[in-house]
Amino acid sequence: MNTIKKHLPKSVLIGLAAILLPFGAQATSDTSKNTHQLYEDNCASCHGSDYGGFIAPGLNADSLKGRSPTALRSLIMTGSFDTLMPPFFGRLSDDDIRGLVKYLQTTPKQANPAWTIDDIKASIKVYVKDESTLPAKPTYAINSMDDVIGVAARGKYGRGSGSKAVFINSVTHKQIGEIPTGTAAHIIDYNPANPRWAYVKTDTAEIFKVDLYSMQAVRSVKTGFNGPGLGVSRDGKYIMAGSYVPHNAVILDADTLEPLKTFELEGVDPDGKMVSSDSGMIIGTPFADIFAIALENAGQVWVVDLKEGFPVTKIENVGRHLHDAFLSHGGSKLMVASYDDSIVTAIDLKDRKIIKKLEAGCVPHVGGGSVVEVDGRTLGFGTNFGDCDKMVVSVWDLDKMEVVKQVPVSGGTESPAAHANAPYVAVDIISKDRRARTIQLIDKKTLEVVKTLDVGGHAYFPEYSADGKFLYVSAGYSGDEVVVYDSKSLEKVASVQMESPAGIFSHGRVRYMTRGLSPDEMKGAK
Amino acid sequence: MGLVSAQSVNAASIYAGEAKAAAVCSQCHGIRTPSADAPFPPLAGRDADYLKTALKQYRDKTRKSDIMNAIAGSLSDDDINNVAMYYGRLKP
Repeated sequence: MNTIKKHLPKSVLIGLAAILLPFGAQATSDTSKNTHQLYEDNCASCHGSDYGGFIAPGLNADSLKGRSPTALRSLIMTGSFDTLMPPFFGRLSDDDIRGLVKYLQTTPKQANPAWTIDDIKASIKVYVKDESTLPAKPTYAINSMDDVIGVAARGKYGRGSGSKAVFINSVTHKQIGEIPTGTAAHIIDYNPANPRWAYVKTDTAEIFKVDLYSMQAVRSVKTGFNGPGLGVSRDGKYIMAGSYVPHNAVILDADTLEPLKTFELEGVDPDGKMVSSDSGMIIGTPFADIFAIALENAGQVWVVDLKEGFPVTKIENVGRHLHDAFLSHGGSKLMVASYDDSIVTAIDLKDRKIIKKLEAGCVPHVGGGSVVEVDGRTLGFGTNFGDCDKMVVSVWDLDKMEVVKQVPVSGGTESPAAHANAPYVAVDIISKDRRARTIQLIDKKTLEVVKTLDVGGHAYFPEYSADGKFLYVSAGYSGDEVVVYDSKSLEKVASVQMESPAGIFSHGRVRYMTRGLSPDEMKGAK
Repeated sequence: MGLVSAQSVNAASIYAGEAKAAAVCSQCHGIRTPSADAPFPPLAGRDADYLKTALKQYRDKTRKSDIMNAIAGSLSDDDINNVAMYYGRLKP
């Protein structure tokens, strides 16, 4: 589902034709305008505003060629049982559903819609005008802000009242606040310099600046149409966001959310073709005043210096279809997953060069990645979708940059969680059958799966509490709860209800950079 | 009612009911509650006999619903018993 290939828009001519249509065709174009709006309001947050696919497959004349309209209609009515696709029966009329099917089967993927720096600027909404009126400390009982865990709740329909960022005290496992986000929350990032600020990005590319002390959004900005890429600089002054639709990225002032500079994402891919590209991961690092951004289709990683003009260093030939990444060695080394080559490429952010390309499992998706120190070695853990026959979690020695082991697991995986104080690395099995209900635990020392938890629902995105005592897991669609386990005994200790929870983000991440490292090692690395 | 049903139900059928509910019913009705934005009624904690009767009526089409006639049509008597028992015992 996440291995969607994006192509360059071929529909510019067709777009022109639509503008040049004579008056006689007005009725038809009104209908298609309405149907496009229906698509925007119900489908686009997952399937992409350009019909080209995002976290769900593209829906256009090309991708739906040969599909039975009747089968598509019933799929929309009932939803798709093993995926996030919800049932639209009762929400959309049968006429609307039939109209959508007809329209999508005859409409090509659209050209990149424009969303300029002026659009971004005009989209800023201010909910709290005077931030000096905000409370000076948390308005709820909490020992340390590190104990805050944020959950991106998608909501059943990817939008509506169920879509929100939910914050939990990971010592008491009680909800301490929630921020409605309108559409599905996807990423939550925290300001490393000031513990009160969090940033929540939705599938429709809005970013909410959240005051964790009073648990409210103070501002928001729309940075594009779709795309999860989000990073915060080490000084907490800048955030960078990247989109799938359109193909751009933007640096914002982390305080005001004012856009400072946009970047068109395009470049020569490893096969020598000039391509326009989706934005993959964006990451700030404790190592330097930079952002690193992966250009998915161009196979490049760009390093942006946070100084006058925001100059870019381009690292080419990183891999074919890049996606996500994680940091190690004090943030000076970046491990980038490349879907189509099934490799993880190690990049030195100091020299801005590729160190080595390491074998990974099949279609690596490293999530936030994990790095643990075991017996004097620095081990990195990488998950992968496993859409082919190889179902393993890769373990690399990040000092020597070599593969240590490929640990057999029961299916494809999406995100590993580790903590310096917890004995196991948790991985989520996402294969589309009963296995999707499970989390497997890999012993850090023996590097073998020692236990499988049946969480219920679609279990994914494990995350440890900042103290390492608890393991949080989203029992996502068909579960609708976050389940909490004791990280040693693996007994279930709590459950927090919400609609379709997905990514879980501990505030502790700002202290240990990558999950599994301890804050002490971070200090040593600097 | 609670006591009687607890004794008349074996663990296996509750487990089967849970599996079927997770795979089929929860898609619209949720486990404990449906989506706040969904037009579907909650099932958790509903009377098990009522759920059984309703599902059988949907299955033999004496109760009309485009979507429920299709979905209940795929359920066996055992499925219906298990699912009704599972949802009936669940706290909303």
